[in-house]
Amino acid sequence: MDPLVVFEGVSYSYETGESAAGPRPPALKDVSLTIEAGEFVAVVGANGSGKSTFARLAAALLIPTSGSVRLLGLDTRAAAHRARVHAGVGVVFQFPEDQIVGMTVEEDVAFGPENLGLPPAEIRARVESALREVGLWEHRLRPSNMLSAGQTQRLALAGVLAMRPRCILFDEASTMLDPSGRLGLMAAMRRLNREGITVVFITHFMEEAAEAGRVIAFHQGQVAFDGPPRAIFQDRERLAGLGLDLPPAARAASALRRARLDLPAGIITLPELLAALPPFHARPGAEAAPPGRSGSSRMPDSPNQALIEVRDLEHVYLKGTPLAHRALHGANLTTHAGRAHGLLGKTGSGKSTLMQHLNALLRPQGGRVRVGPFDLNDASVRRRDVVRQVGLVLQNPEAQFFAYYVGDEIAFGPRQFDLDEPLRERVRWAMEWVGLDFETFKDRPLFALSGGERRKVALASILALKPSVLLLDEPTAGLDPRSRIDVLGKLSAMQIQGMTIVLSSHQMEDLALLARELTVYEKGRDVLSGPTEDVFDQVDVLKAHGLEPPAAAQVAQALRSLGWPIRAGITGLRDLESAVVAALRGANERV
Amino acid sequence: MSEFEFLRDLPIGQYVPGDSILHRLDPRTRILAATALILALTFTPRTAGLLVGLAVGLAGWALARMYPGPALKGWRAALPFLLILALLQILFQARPEEGRVLYRGGWLVISAGDVWAGINLILRFSAYIFLLGLFSSVISASQITRGSEALLRPLARVGFPVHDFVMVVQVTLRFFPLLAQTAERIAKAQASRGADWNARGNVFRRAQRMAPMIVPLFVTSLRRAENLALAMDARAYGSGPARTSMVELKFGWVDYAAFIVAGAVIALMVLV
Repeated sequence: MDPLVVFEGVSYSYETGESAAGPRPPALKDVSLTIEAGEFVAVVGANGSGKSTFARLAAALLIPTSGSVRLLGLDTRAAAHRARVHAGVGVVFQFPEDQIVGMTVEEDVAFGPENLGLPPAEIRARVESALREVGLWEHRLRPSNMLSAGQTQRLALAGVLAMRPRCILFDEASTMLDPSGRLGLMAAMRRLNREGITVVFITHFMEEAAEAGRVIAFHQGQVAFDGPPRAIFQDRERLAGLGLDLPPAARAASALRRARLDLPAGIITLPELLAALPPFHARPGAEAAPPGRSGSSRMPDSPNQALIEVRDLEHVYLKGTPLAHRALHGANLTTHAGRAHGLLGKTGSGKSTLMQHLNALLRPQGGRVRVGPFDLNDASVRRRDVVRQVGLVLQNPEAQFFAYYVGDEIAFGPRQFDLDEPLRERVRWAMEWVGLDFETFKDRPLFALSGGERRKVALASILALKPSVLLLDEPTAGLDPRSRIDVLGKLSAMQIQGMTIVLSSHQMEDLALLARELTVYEKGRDVLSGPTEDVFDQVDVLKAHGLEPPAAAQVAQALRSLGWPIRAGITGLRDLESAVVAALRGANERV
Repeated sequence: MSEFEFLRDLPIGQYVPGDSILHRLDPRTRILAATALILALTFTPRTAGLLVGLAVGLAGWALARMYPGPALKGWRAALPFLLILALLQILFQARPEEGRVLYRGGWLVISAGDVWAGINLILRFSAYIFLLGLFSSVISASQITRGSEALLRPLARVGFPVHDFVMVVQVTLRFFPLLAQTAERIAKAQASRGADWNARGNVFRRAQRMAPMIVPLFVTSLRRAENLALAMDARAYGSGPARTSMVELKFGWVDYAAFIVAGAVIALMVLV
């Protein structure tokens, strides 16, 4: 039998060949590879590496400029094959709501089979089995635009399953999901693969790639690596060259090895790491030191008044319409000046709505909100005054860019106010704070920037108002690993310089790095709050709320349960490493 | 209430899923019967006919096993305007030559005909409200598109692209809420950067404020349209032999019965 996917010398160039830097290089250059039926393949690479182009070619959504792509033995160039090829290879895309065609759930699932010209009875049977598979059968009559983000993603998958494909491509399908949504999607992909469907998924998350049977890494339009995940995650230097990083479990494993903990080689997933942790060998007569809190990282709550105070906040969107939807129900938040406060919770837990109250985009429907001197229950407090002090960077801020050049985009905010300094100086100041050189970047077209650079422009466009509080809604979402590290570095520098930051993130590693305090939200109210290390210590509580604590906290907890004298409150790898070193030294001294 | 909730201003389908006899009728029957009833209501000249129409509207709600809440709400909101219109009708002599003169004083002449014209106006619009409210409660947007596609199908023979036309309408309906959401996000992003979103100001000022919204709205909509086109392509739209439909539209005895009832009612309305 023919392999499922065959690329032979495939190159692809986008037609719009012009760009600021002359003709654009081809998106894909001379790629040859084969994917056999039943494989479970991860595709990784930095933004612009060609991995999305690869997915589109592999789904026959693009036809190669040169070379040939054969799917299920059929050349995608031949128009006569299109129906069979599309039925055989399905795609789930990044933005779930953009791929829904039908107005109700069941109609959307029927769309594909209808296009294949199947008889109505067969369509109904397929719609039912696809909806049951993803757990949306009870919702089949609901309007498709009234589902949650996770449900919409499952609907998109059901629409593909109803085609009964032999291969499914997931094009960064987990990017918009929260941790529990990502775990759910990963489980669904594994289940489909066990049922015999070939799964190819593109991802920015290395912990997902680590679970694949095979990893293909793209770099500048070419295949830079193709092999088992263990092989690619061996070489950190090489990964960095590809704009990638190690999965968190592999980073934790190497921190533990540096602490002279004996671990087998090639650990890349968290379950592997947790299973490989050795028990603590307390010598006879030696007792493990009590796992007391070190206390060094914890400071007493500052006695001065809180900068941000939110009490019993209530908010209902579209109040009084059939679409009314409660977002906040008795939410609280207290933050002090000069600190970074992290908000976490599943999608729909109310974090974004809460943030939009802090810069007066929304006004309290119930409860109280005070930010510094601004009492936001007071209708005479003007939003224009608040936004100068409290800057909000919305999720995916690049989608709202409207200028052509970087400089103009950043100047929009300052232009709305009478400043005491020249506009140019203000823009220069903001750009330099995020690490974009003024002279180099001010006249660059926005579309020519990389993902990380665009995110920095969005950040600078808010900083240009010189706010004293910065609100960040998912600041690293959708960035590739290298851009993410870059943006995190800038934020952490701002925090050190005394900026008060409130950020929400699905990335626990980001929160562990930046936030000093955390508040967990669920269904519009706060359920857990405290110093970052205390919150992350409650591994089981967090998991019950659908959250995944950072790898270091999970490893520390597992070590403690194996008898290791590891202190509580470990959120980062450096802390973990030094705690293990201390424990081993303590054990040796006692012998 | 927030000035950013653009979705609030969208006309939202009031469809209520159910299992009543009206819900189970073929969508084509519902569309044809509703159209015929509305036409009859428009052209019937007599009060008795209008009363029949209003009674049918109310009976329909009972048949659908629903409380006519939304229609009542709409009716109550419209009532002041209806009363004013009826008063104008009475004062400004719709049919001055008709009926007994009830009052004569200076230029003002009120005849029985005027009063009946005013009453008819109120009855006619009330019946519209209850009938249209009922129609939109028992038929979903997708049933309307499927039904009208089937009804328009004969046009395909003269070269009218019925299927593509219906698909365009369906996708447009799908995208309205998304467009409103996009506009909301852009407005919020700009307000966060100091744009004076509240300022009323003159037309010039407001146009100026809208300008920076247009580019991101277009860019986002185009990106979404491109994504949707890709997704439709990936799901074999336009690449198969002939498209089929999950829902088979079939007239049953209920539909024929409905046609007979509707025909009888219409005859009654026009002829009584």
